[in-house]
Amino acid sequence: MIEMIAALLGGVFYGLIIGIIPAAGATTGLIALFGFISYFIHEPYLGVIFLMAVVAASTTGDSFTAILLGIPGANSAAATMVDGFPLAQKGRAGYAISAAVTTSTVNGLIWGCLVFLLLPWYTNLIMIFGIPELWAFTVLALATVGFLSNKYWFRTILAIAFGILIGLVGVDPENNEPRFTMGWFYLEDGIQIMAVAAGLFAIPELVKGLFTKTSTANGEIAKGELWAGMKAVWRNRWLALRGGFIGAFIGLLPGLGGQMADWLAYGSAVASNPKEKFGNGNIKGVIGPEGANNSQKATSMITTVIFGIPGAKFAAILMSLFMYLNIELGTPDIVEDTELFTSMTFGFLGATVIVALICMFLIKPISKIASVPYKYYFPVLLALIVFTSMQYTGGWEDLAMLAIFSCIGFFCKHFMFSRPAMLIGYILADKVEGLTLQILGLYTWETLITRPIFMTLAVSIIGILIFSIIRKGRIDYA
Amino acid sequence: MLKILTTLAMLLGFTTSAVADYTFVVPQKPGGGTSVWAQIVATEMEKYLDEKIVIKHIRGARDIPGFNKWHNDMRDDDKVVMVSHGGNGVSFLNEKVDYDYNEYDSVGLMNLNIIVAARKDHNPYGGKATSFAAGSGQIPEGIAITLLKCGSGLTTEQYIDCFKRRVNWIKGMKGGQRRLAFKRGELDGTRENPAAFKKHVQPVIDKGQASLWFHHGILDTATGEHMDDVNYPGILMEDLFYAANRVKPESDLYAAYKLVKSFRDGMQKALWVAKGNPNKAKLIAALEKVATTPESIKAVQKKVGKYDWLIGKDGDAHRDTLMKLITPEALKTLVQFNNEAFGIKAVYKDTLVAQK
Repeated sequence: MIEMIAALLGGVFYGLIIGIIPAAGATTGLIALFGFISYFIHEPYLGVIFLMAVVAASTTGDSFTAILLGIPGANSAAATMVDGFPLAQKGRAGYAISAAVTTSTVNGLIWGCLVFLLLPWYTNLIMIFGIPELWAFTVLALATVGFLSNKYWFRTILAIAFGILIGLVGVDPENNEPRFTMGWFYLEDGIQIMAVAAGLFAIPELVKGLFTKTSTANGEIAKGELWAGMKAVWRNRWLALRGGFIGAFIGLLPGLGGQMADWLAYGSAVASNPKEKFGNGNIKGVIGPEGANNSQKATSMITTVIFGIPGAKFAAILMSLFMYLNIELGTPDIVEDTELFTSMTFGFLGATVIVALICMFLIKPISKIASVPYKYYFPVLLALIVFTSMQYTGGWEDLAMLAIFSCIGFFCKHFMFSRPAMLIGYILADKVEGLTLQILGLYTWETLITRPIFMTLAVSIIGILIFSIIRKGRIDYA
Repeated sequence: MLKILTTLAMLLGFTTSAVADYTFVVPQKPGGGTSVWAQIVATEMEKYLDEKIVIKHIRGARDIPGFNKWHNDMRDDDKVVMVSHGGNGVSFLNEKVDYDYNEYDSVGLMNLNIIVAARKDHNPYGGKATSFAAGSGQIPEGIAITLLKCGSGLTTEQYIDCFKRRVNWIKGMKGGQRRLAFKRGELDGTRENPAAFKKHVQPVIDKGQASLWFHHGILDTATGEHMDDVNYPGILMEDLFYAANRVKPESDLYAAYKLVKSFRDGMQKALWVAKGNPNKAKLIAALEKVATTPESIKAVQKKVGKYDWLIGKDGDAHRDTLMKLITPEALKTLVQFNNEAFGIKAVYKDTLVAQK
């Protein structure tokens, strides 16, 4: 038990710090752990607790930088920033932070309980879904990412295609021959996720943070502001819960990230209060989106755990880290693995509670951490990311791959090619190919059309394609 | 800033290798089956060596680069031990690799077995094509199923033709997917090592949805023949073949089967040092303690099941027995079957036959 608590506290501490550091967040924080996760190999479930605590804590922690500095710790806090930062500039940082942390905690606990306590029951789905259903669900994930995630759908499709292409580098499963390796033996084991994730996300975000001008708001916490923030959440409880519900729904759709959930929840807050102004420090603009990213993180674990289809980019990284602990998600191993579910529940819910207490009672020192100039964090984070990226062979090839994918990451960021879509394409490429080969070997059209779940999913995919053509006014981000 | 970076570098360096006396090179990523096994064995050996062992993962395609790297650059270091697995044995027969088991001394190895189950509605000797997950790790099962379903007296070409008709070789399936597909009844057969079999297949058998089909047997070092497995008696592949055909399997394909099966399972998990390594005796003594101490035995068996160690000279003798199975006919047939039946690119290495 002591070890479990130590792992929980370690995850909370690391997650909170990585959440608070400008431009870092859960994804970068998880990427940096590839270099260290094998220390948990003897006690993999402690590793699970640690990782889940990192996810929960970083999701709440990133509100601090969004509100105090006007830059999100991660993209998922961007919506919170719109009204949170103006509030801080007016000297009401404590009010905004308190409202954000309360909303995050409540939604984290509600949806954390619904997801993690019931995960063993959800895993029964694994026996209902056959190969055709898994194939259709995987394609549905790619369709939702490609056509629903943002308005640059053509660029997103290209990003997915490129992601799939790099995911297919390695050895052809049909004949064991090298594929797309250009004669480079190093690539025959496939392109490693550390380089892809670090290059696409961590490096561009870290560098961006270096050049982002921050105007630190007044971080002083006036007396009574914390209580006022909590009361504001109570007054707007339905808004807070609706934000959580929106996040939970988006999390269930495979492949969509937290950013979309946050902006939808923010948009819902704006739409439901047409007479009020937003963007100038409306607390409803903080409460609306803040619960969405916590609930989304919880529900996106359902498809990740049961089918091995990541619900969001952080989940894609998490899934790979679990592999290092000899825990393969989306396989029958997990169905009977009660310790896995216990550890995930303990890690996520425990961290949600602890981080809330820390944020409330230590709000002043945490605010000071957030105001430390980013240039001091940058070299440490960069060293961690480079170290992580060299965990494959430790040779120059690893560095070369990191450099290549960093360039691709900068390019995609600048030209609005969806990097999460590329990552999910990369992660799912192997699955799509494998499941396609399996369907071709085991099923015929006649047998496929008799499967109701498969047909429902197939119709959903077609529906998404049609919906994406007729819909206008997509969300503008990549 | 310099202080932070220096501290970080020291921390990273300290936590990796500075505390290690021995290094076990594992040719796969952390968390892989052999990696976990190596970690368990290393932890147990540390108790008797009274020295630290660190695991170094050198990854790469089909786990070849790690073994090559040790062979070419690291084996002369007296403190570096190679951990190999059955997949390395299969690659040794079929692919261009640098490593060569003849050039090493065995610290110890585990001579294991693989068990195959089939769904209840499956006909093991005829009927519709048997759907079975493909992959280089399933080559022995693919050949065994071909022998059982196609019978005796065929040429290699006829067996290849029969394989295409009677075995539905499902490509693109990984271990977890294979287990799931078998549980759901999408695959007719599956295979596992004894520990995984108990966990994943036995429950399906207990529900009455599947039954034991065959196992490959344990390779007898002295005779080079397969013995029945006391854990799963009465379903040795050769015995089932004899029962169905009234003759023993004697074709070139059977020789290829025996060869590839033995190189996969006969050295399923193994520890190697360069010939003449001065620490060999010390390592062997520690491993002997692991193999005879109940607490250590339990820790290792949890991962692979109840199978014996072949330590030191016994391991060398076992390796020598395996090498005798390499005949031109067996190797050529294996390469031909890989290329033409399984669609797996394989190369014939005449150097293997020559050095034998």
